[in-house]
Amino acid sequence: MNAFQYATASSSESAHELVASNGAYLAGGNDLLSLLKDYLVSASILVNIKSLPGLNKIMHGEKAWTIGALVTVAEIERDADVGRAFPGLHEAAAEIGSQQIRNVATVGGNLAQHSRCWYFRHRDTVCLKKHGDLCYARHGENRYHSLFTGNDCISPVVSSLATVFAALDATAIVLRDAKETRLTMSELYQKAWEDPTAHNSLYPGDLILRVEIPAGRRRSAYLQASDKHAFDWALVSCAAAADVVDGKLKWPRVALGSISPKPHEVAAANEFLEGKTLDEATAAAAADLILKEAKPLEYNAYKVPLAHALIRRTLLKVKGDA
Amino acid sequence: MNIGLPTPSAHSRRSFLKGLGTAAVTAAAAQTEAVAAELEKANTEKAIGPGAVPVTLKVNGEKLKLLIEPRVTLLDALRNYSSLTGAKEGCDRASCGACTVLLGDLPIYACQKLAVEAQGQEITTVEGLAKDGKLTKVQQAFLEKDALMCGYCTPGFVMSVTALLKQKPHPTAAEVKHACAGNLCRCGTQPRVLEAALSAAGIAALRPTHTEVVNA
Amino acid sequence: MPEWPAQTKYIGQPTTRVDAAPKVTGRARYSSDIQANGWLYGMILRSKWPAAKILSVSFDKARGLPGVKAVAVVRETPFTVRYYGEEIAAVAATTKQACLDALRSIEIKAEPRERFVVREDEGRKADSPQVWEGVANAPAPRARNTGDVDAAFAECAAVIEGFYTTPVQIHHPMETHGSTVSWTEEGVTSWASTQGISSVGDGLAGSLKLDQSKVRVITDYMGGGFGAKFGAGVEGVLAARLSREAKAPVRLMLTRFDEALAVGNRPSSFQRIKLGAAADGTLRAFEMDNYGTAGIGAGAASEGGGGGADIPAPYLYKVPNSRVKQKAVAINAGSARAFRAPGNPPASYGMESAMDDLAVKLGMDPVELRLKNDPSPIRQREYALGAERFGWKQKYRKPGSSPGVVKTGVGCAGAAWPAGGGSHQTQGEAQINPDGSIEFRLGVQDIGTGTKTVIAVVAAELLGLRPEQITVKVGDTHFPPGPGSGGSTTCASISPTVYDVCTKALQQMQTQSGLADVRGENWYPACKKLGVNPLVVHGQWQPGLSSDHACGVQFAEVAVDTETGLVTVTKVVAVHDCGLIIDKLTLESQINGGVIMGMGYALYEERVMDDLSGVVLNPNFETYKLPGIADVPEIDVVLLNMPERGVIGIGEPATVPTAAAIANAVANALGVRVSSLPITPAKVLAALGKVPAVAT
Repeated sequence: MNAFQYATASSSESAHELVASNGAYLAGGNDLLSLLKDYLVSASILVNIKSLPGLNKIMHGEKAWTIGALVTVAEIERDADVGRAFPGLHEAAAEIGSQQIRNVATVGGNLAQHSRCWYFRHRDTVCLKKHGDLCYARHGENRYHSLFTGNDCISPVVSSLATVFAALDATAIVLRDAKETRLTMSELYQKAWEDPTAHNSLYPGDLILRVEIPAGRRRSAYLQASDKHAFDWALVSCAAAADVVDGKLKWPRVALGSISPKPHEVAAANEFLEGKTLDEATAAAAADLILKEAKPLEYNAYKVPLAHALIRRTLLKVKGDA
Repeated sequence: MNIGLPTPSAHSRRSFLKGLGTAAVTAAAAQTEAVAAELEKANTEKAIGPGAVPVTLKVNGEKLKLLIEPRVTLLDALRNYSSLTGAKEGCDRASCGACTVLLGDLPIYACQKLAVEAQGQEITTVEGLAKDGKLTKVQQAFLEKDALMCGYCTPGFVMSVTALLKQKPHPTAAEVKHACAGNLCRCGTQPRVLEAALSAAGIAALRPTHTEVVNA
Repeated sequence: MPEWPAQTKYIGQPTTRVDAAPKVTGRARYSSDIQANGWLYGMILRSKWPAAKILSVSFDKARGLPGVKAVAVVRETPFTVRYYGEEIAAVAATTKQACLDALRSIEIKAEPRERFVVREDEGRKADSPQVWEGVANAPAPRARNTGDVDAAFAECAAVIEGFYTTPVQIHHPMETHGSTVSWTEEGVTSWASTQGISSVGDGLAGSLKLDQSKVRVITDYMGGGFGAKFGAGVEGVLAARLSREAKAPVRLMLTRFDEALAVGNRPSSFQRIKLGAAADGTLRAFEMDNYGTAGIGAGAASEGGGGGADIPAPYLYKVPNSRVKQKAVAINAGSARAFRAPGNPPASYGMESAMDDLAVKLGMDPVELRLKNDPSPIRQREYALGAERFGWKQKYRKPGSSPGVVKTGVGCAGAAWPAGGGSHQTQGEAQINPDGSIEFRLGVQDIGTGTKTVIAVVAAELLGLRPEQITVKVGDTHFPPGPGSGGSTTCASISPTVYDVCTKALQQMQTQSGLADVRGENWYPACKKLGVNPLVVHGQWQPGLSSDHACGVQFAEVAVDTETGLVTVTKVVAVHDCGLIIDKLTLESQINGGVIMGMGYALYEERVMDDLSGVVLNPNFETYKLPGIADVPEIDVVLLNMPERGVIGIGEPATVPTAAAIANAVANALGVRVSSLPITPAKVLAALGKVPAVAT
């Protein structure tokens, strides 16, 4: 790591001021420290934001739940109320990294984390995301990369919380230029869809404050597939949420992670599922719709049948015994 | 063969206070709450570094007073600025668990935590477990079940299992695996780590590693 | 002729490790923990080019940075680097941070070569850019013929052909390579993480042009080697040179990143195998065309041995007609080094996959086919035992016939390894003190196998003491010389040596004390008679107490999710012979370890190179995947006890057949074979025909 200054902020205003133009917010530090150690980002100052008041609570009201950006993934995993309200969120949290990572990783950090593409992460390949000339993965080793792309960078979003939050219709509240800005998950990653150098839509200095999840959908589920049984990035992840009334889906939403720079959703699939009785056939049909426009590359075509299976299983898991 | 510490680790209280400025000394003397809070805010938000700064870590119940740059990780501080080499460096990228220590009750990767931000919390390393040389239940179980081979990953596993049993005194095998998924081992001790963890919890493993000797 | 006692108290029993307490308490000091007085931190700068001429290296800026105490370039410029990660220079400084800053300020002028090659199939082409100037990347294959293979195939009742491939596998011990070195007027002391203290001493003396008597190597604890840690290494010599310039000890340990690039690996294999048998399953013809890469070490013996990429073939079975062609392809990548049973895991994988494919073609049970052909009576016995313990007859079903989405399958495979033997040059000594305390000193290493404990067990047995009463010191070139810890020969080297030391000790003690039997209860009274001076007894390896060659067979059961491709190994039964069992506890751990490493080879591990940039894409544990606790199956061990064969060895045989058994189990589950390791979900789905063709 390059040398940097360090400060602990006690308010979001001072955090913003301290970070200035070349600083970085330090929450869990898991992603930031890796980036610094490999000289992928530089920061003249690290501003510890873990003391900022009010950002580390899980609260719920009638209309919505609020999860502070500084809530750790382990806290989500341990919270029984969250588990009852949003089983999918619980399931996703439990599979993030390892216990040691979950104990420090924050919701905000998980959403804001940088690309895991091995060309981006490699210190000696200057790819598009690092303002280089080409995407090495496109004609190179792309087994972990996107099936859907909006620009020449094919690195997918890997935040499993983003995948679940998308299915739950959650909104991230971001402090931008001293004002609160609301971003859906789609909006939070739209810039990554458009701009190869972007990991998400956050501007320098933006501070994620909390995530609001509308109460309402009573059922949710999350599944991921990996090479290993634990402590392994998802090859594909899937989150689904819906109400089930008289055996029929109400307000269904399905999102996939690790196959697109943003959580992948297809409105037509959600519309198709609305009001349907969920069974293998409808789940498969929904999966077909979600994956219809997939553009597999040389080594990641396996993600199509894999995603198809996960979508079916996640939907059936949402349905449960209903 | 002399084993010594690599760099000076003490700093003078006087020079530390000097760095705060006259107001600090006055405030401390006055001991008014408001001023102290104001002072704390000012100190909290003051940018320190990038050169070496005084950092005090509470490790295994003792104070470690160091003079280190903010970019020094907790692991680096333990291994290279003190004699606490129990936590190991296996990857320096939060992916192997050899550096697992406890921050409060929580197991974390010391390689991915800045020493400067670990201040004010109770840090426990593997050296802080056995009191007066008496192995803890977990350590004894590791020894008896041979849950170690080269031993390099062992401190990390011992910390993860210790933390788990503190939280869940009677874990299932699945819970042990969940707690230890973030610890890698190349020698292949995993089956016996599982057995040792359950044994330390007073649970006979459902399926102990099984060896049969057959005479040819 | 010496012989082991028939009735034993400790030999053959489980004995906890004598060094367990230091390891579980963090007191054990590994090479990376050494804090010699005034020590400095060392770091290496590596090539970011896969092939380049290094014209100049300037330390002007680096020297000016605070804390930098010494710099070194690997050799005089200009020189050529031939792979991404090859060493260029090194620095020593007061802190890790100062080293990092110094490395980044070193200025290099280089002429990168435009063309380089990192894929084996590319390297085979005649026009591929030469890794070594003037030398073809892929020399003409060596061919070996027996009988008339073409005629034999024509007469076979069943013939199969397959293309079985294995990746480059990286050792990745948990403690990286490196050492703390102090070079003073008196000489060099190196606390090295090594499997061979003598090889380090030898390497340092040679490279630094010192008398060997001026070099001391100490390895009290080390964090694993698996074959990669022999010799001083470029890093060891650099550390010494830095120490000399800085006039301080230098601790230079590699990073995990470095480990993936430059300190050894298992060569890949691309085995085209044709196997034919008579109707009754008797093997008649075998043809293999294999190529693989040992990186830049293809063809040439690399440091630490293991250069080249040849594998034993036909593996295990005697086939009367055969043609075997192999070649090692050089590519711009780190050189191979001996890796736990060099050549054998890929050989077992190819041969045993072919055997199972043949069994399917013949409609024969795979175990029956092996029993029909395996020339080893020991393995015959092991297959019979293992099949019974595993429940083979109950579990085996026709390939792909398991119902449901998650399909189960079973497979087996065999191993042979020239383990044991023992180094005849092993020596040892024991110092017996008048108070009865005793210390054994051997210049051998404990790389996690339990060597120290073996010494204590043998000594305790022969002296009538308890293992806890024996102090064991290893890993110092000032001690009597021991073997390098490799080849599964350590136990067979040190056990007879300790036996000899004990025999001589007893004789001498008996003479000194006048007691007929100084063992057990008589030990302390006998020692008291030594007076003031301790007795130091020297001994050496003796024949008759060890032998060599170990076999083994393993059975694996898997469950494969045919929708996600995830392979779960649910059970492994490992049947192994190892002669006389010294410590049952550490032996079981070795077998567990071999199985788990074999599972990693089967399902998760491969070094991935990038064509365009020539870099290693997965120089970390995130994308070079090791088995974790959640991946590990139930492992049952069956030990074929053969004490009459004396001490042999187990470390390597234990890892040879695992990947083959798992691959066969997956093929049995699916009804179709994934013939390329690692067997990833992507490959499973492709084998099942579920992956859409890609529009180019």
